[in-house]
Amino acid sequence: MDLKQFLLQLRLDPSALWLIIALPLLGAFLCGVFGRMLGRANVYLVACAAVAGSFLLSLSAFLSVSPLEAAQAVTMENAFSSGTIRYAFGYDFGTWFSAGTFRVNFGLMVDHLSGTLLLVITGVGFLIHLYSTSYMSHDDGYWRYFAYLNLFVAAMLTLVLADNLVLLFVGWEGVGMASYLLIGFWYSDTAKAWAGRKAFVTNRIGDFAFLIATFLIVLLVSAFNTQATAANFSMVGGNPEAAQVRYREGLQMKGPVAFQGLETMANALHVTPEKAQGGVNLQTPISEGPLEGRTFGGVLTVALLLFLLGAAGKSAQFPLYVWLPDAMAGPTPVSALIHAATMVTAGVYLFSRMSYLLVLSPTAMVTVAIIGTITSLLAALIAFAQDDIKKVLAYSTVSQLGIMFMGVGMGIFWAAVLHLVTHAFFKACLFLGAGSVMHGNADETDIKKLGGVRHEMKQTWFTFLVATLAITGIVPLSGFFSKDAIYHGIHHNHLHGYEWASSVIYYMGLLIAASTAFYMSRVYLLTFEGKRSPEAKIPHAHESDWRMTTPLWVLAILSVVALFQALPLMPGRGGVMQPVMENFLGPVFSSAERIAARGGEVKLDHSVPSIIDYLKAWLVALAGGAAAGFMYLKFFPSRAGQPAPAFARSVRRFTQNKFYVDEAYEFLVIRPVKNVSAILYKLVDTLLIDTVAVRGTAWVTARLGSALRYVQTGDAQAYAAVMALALLGGAVYALILVMK
Amino acid sequence: MNIELVLFGAFALLTLLSAGLVIFAKSAISSAMSLVATFFFLAGIYVLLWAHTVAVLQVLVYAGAIMVLFLFVIMLLNLGEETSAGPRLTLSRILGGAAAAGLLVVLVMVIWRIPAPTTTFTGAQAVASGFGTLPAIGQVIYTQWLLPFEAVSLLLLVAMVGAVVVAKSRI
Amino acid sequence: MVPISYYLILAAALFCLGMFGVLIRRNALVVFMCVELMLNAANLTFLAFAKQNGHLTGHVSAFFVIAVAAAEASIGLAIVIAVFRSRGTVSIEEIRTMKH
Repeated sequence: MDLKQFLLQLRLDPSALWLIIALPLLGAFLCGVFGRMLGRANVYLVACAAVAGSFLLSLSAFLSVSPLEAAQAVTMENAFSSGTIRYAFGYDFGTWFSAGTFRVNFGLMVDHLSGTLLLVITGVGFLIHLYSTSYMSHDDGYWRYFAYLNLFVAAMLTLVLADNLVLLFVGWEGVGMASYLLIGFWYSDTAKAWAGRKAFVTNRIGDFAFLIATFLIVLLVSAFNTQATAANFSMVGGNPEAAQVRYREGLQMKGPVAFQGLETMANALHVTPEKAQGGVNLQTPISEGPLEGRTFGGVLTVALLLFLLGAAGKSAQFPLYVWLPDAMAGPTPVSALIHAATMVTAGVYLFSRMSYLLVLSPTAMVTVAIIGTITSLLAALIAFAQDDIKKVLAYSTVSQLGIMFMGVGMGIFWAAVLHLVTHAFFKACLFLGAGSVMHGNADETDIKKLGGVRHEMKQTWFTFLVATLAITGIVPLSGFFSKDAIYHGIHHNHLHGYEWASSVIYYMGLLIAASTAFYMSRVYLLTFEGKRSPEAKIPHAHESDWRMTTPLWVLAILSVVALFQALPLMPGRGGVMQPVMENFLGPVFSSAERIAARGGEVKLDHSVPSIIDYLKAWLVALAGGAAAGFMYLKFFPSRAGQPAPAFARSVRRFTQNKFYVDEAYEFLVIRPVKNVSAILYKLVDTLLIDTVAVRGTAWVTARLGSALRYVQTGDAQAYAAVMALALLGGAVYALILVMK
Repeated sequence: MNIELVLFGAFALLTLLSAGLVIFAKSAISSAMSLVATFFFLAGIYVLLWAHTVAVLQVLVYAGAIMVLFLFVIMLLNLGEETSAGPRLTLSRILGGAAAAGLLVVLVMVIWRIPAPTTTFTGAQAVASGFGTLPAIGQVIYTQWLLPFEAVSLLLLVAMVGAVVVAKSRI
Repeated sequence: MVPISYYLILAAALFCLGMFGVLIRRNALVVFMCVELMLNAANLTFLAFAKQNGHLTGHVSAFFVIAVAAAEASIGLAIVIAVFRSRGTVSIEEIRTMKH
């Protein structure tokens, strides 16, 4: 009772929200600037304390938006409509910059979605900081490492807390930069530096699309503001005229890119002309500006597809996923934090945050879902044959992110976010486990040269097993529930005009689930079971110390406990029990639900999976796992030196080479760009600029100078004579002018 | 034919004559003495222009102070007659000379075309307002032109110090 | 009453004579004297216009020109002395350091 009272009082003042970001930023500054001076232990202390403090503040922010007693729920004033936002709070720190009517505020906001992510980022982040203190204990660049890691946490928190697109983009770029710095952390190794560069360039392509999409959104909002009538605002609530006035005030105060404003606009946009009564609908052409003549719906779809490209860059989706496997060049804890748990989920977060816009465009939704499916399947198949433990996990991450995109694309947002959370736990656990294995086996990453580690690293083995079961989708671990919630939603949600997508993507999903089970079992079996490989670098592995095993245990426990979020325990609409997470994220996605119900473009289902559904998914997972177990323990004793059948070898070679996607890019994109660049280099740079423009001017000047040298006699009177001649010329010219 | 025109003609002729001597004299001393004469004749013309004060200053400062300085320097450097008969003819000299002559032609042409101005300022007015007298000029200098006047005094100070610094080998 | 153009023509002739001297004489001292001639030509114009307009500003300008001429002469002659000391000549033709 006392604890409950204490927790009820634990609330974060909205004006202190910036501290959540500022703490890790300060940590990054201290570690980066004074790191060497402070010494190893102090850097550990500063970095961990910064993230721990941020975690505590996040916890109190989280408790503020989701209090234990419903009566204490916070509400936040909506700047764009007369209504209030439930279960959210935020603080506007004033105008960041403005130009004309365009304005961006520095506003932070916490609701249930960002609150959840806050806890994941700072919680998992803290565990990984703790783990890193042991993992990086032999590295001299420790201060640089912790500065980057803190910087990453700060940027990721900015991304999540931002209440407008531009501030979100700041975080978006910040995490990209931190990721680049950490992938190329060991920059003296050329391959690793190149991996960082590849990640950066690939991300830049996505970021460019993100920016263009933001510009389109700005134009769309201004067009909506000019063309909307009071009829539009009848759906926002309250008196329509007053609502429109309020919306305009909101635009003036917070600018066009604030999420609240976008939500109000999405609510006010009619889907079809029949219901619009003269108001703006998705088929209304824009009347002025650069987008003149295009329809609102069309521009919105293009913007969302560009956002998809941006999200594909950051979240490693097809066709921009190629950087993530290479990103494993960074230290393993970095892979766990950035390239598994947090940064790569930014795309999922972005679409969840803008769910109300997404449900207005079934085309964009189905594209998101299809991209997710392709990515997921491709990555799962490539993961079959990878021998590097981190590479397998990287492809697994790509595959799991694809599943989240499938969920977002099919409108089952809450399950995608749930999978994001559970995936953060078990994938971080897997990566840290892999790091622990590498640490105990002299940095060996080839799973064929490991094996039998189970007996020597009991704690690592057990936690890795739990996480493997979770990702494989074995009852009753969290991965099973979150993945199955997505599949169930995909199967029962329908997109208008794309009805076929539901079942096609669902069955592809089952195939992906089986593949996941297959490759995860393979990694697990080859690493931990069987006999120790004779090719191992050291004869005996050693268990890591407590700073590395503690995070493993916490994450393993979390990957089990997180399952409660998917249990139907909360009373939902019509007395049906809802999964906890769906209920919890209800306020965030309520606009999307409302728009979907109103427009009929997207049909969102709320049924709870039945036992049959569970059983089906479970059997699929089990079958995949069993197949892997059978093949790798009996049929494919690849370690015993017996040759595999010819067809198996060619398939293996094909998948081992990642379906030659990198080579295809090399051939289709990089080579042509290089050739064109080479031509441009030779023609424009070398010939025109270097030879003609730069050296040419120098040559002409030099020749002219040496020719004119002889004019410089040093005779003062000769110079004076020239002056006199010029004076005469001027006088004559003046005379001619006067004579006219 | 009034007396003013006669005086102007005489002074102008003498001025140009002595100025020509400045240029074409063989020795520096002759040039300097011709220059003094030029200044005296010019002072006469200044008087014709009702500028008595400037005329007096011309004689005092130019013909007195500055020319004495020149003569001192000539004496100091012990410059005799130039060894060669005249300046060597070079391209720059020919061009420069031609330019000077051409400029004179152009200027005369321009001045000739100036329409005769209607003079409203008469001698009676000049006498009444004290035109060109020391009090009148002082009035203008110390009211309208005080800052340039002070700047000129500073310039003279700088020139004095500068001359000492430049001319002395060791300070 | 002498027309102003007579004075101006005299000033132009004086100026051009001075310029001619500057351009053809070799002795640096004589060159300086010719510069003084040119300055006086300018003075003459100032005074002529002053009389024409009945305005004393021309007189003030002439006064300033005389002061500047004094400054110029003192510095210029100091330079001539310095040059003579280092090179033993005041002939412009032989002082050619700014040469190609």
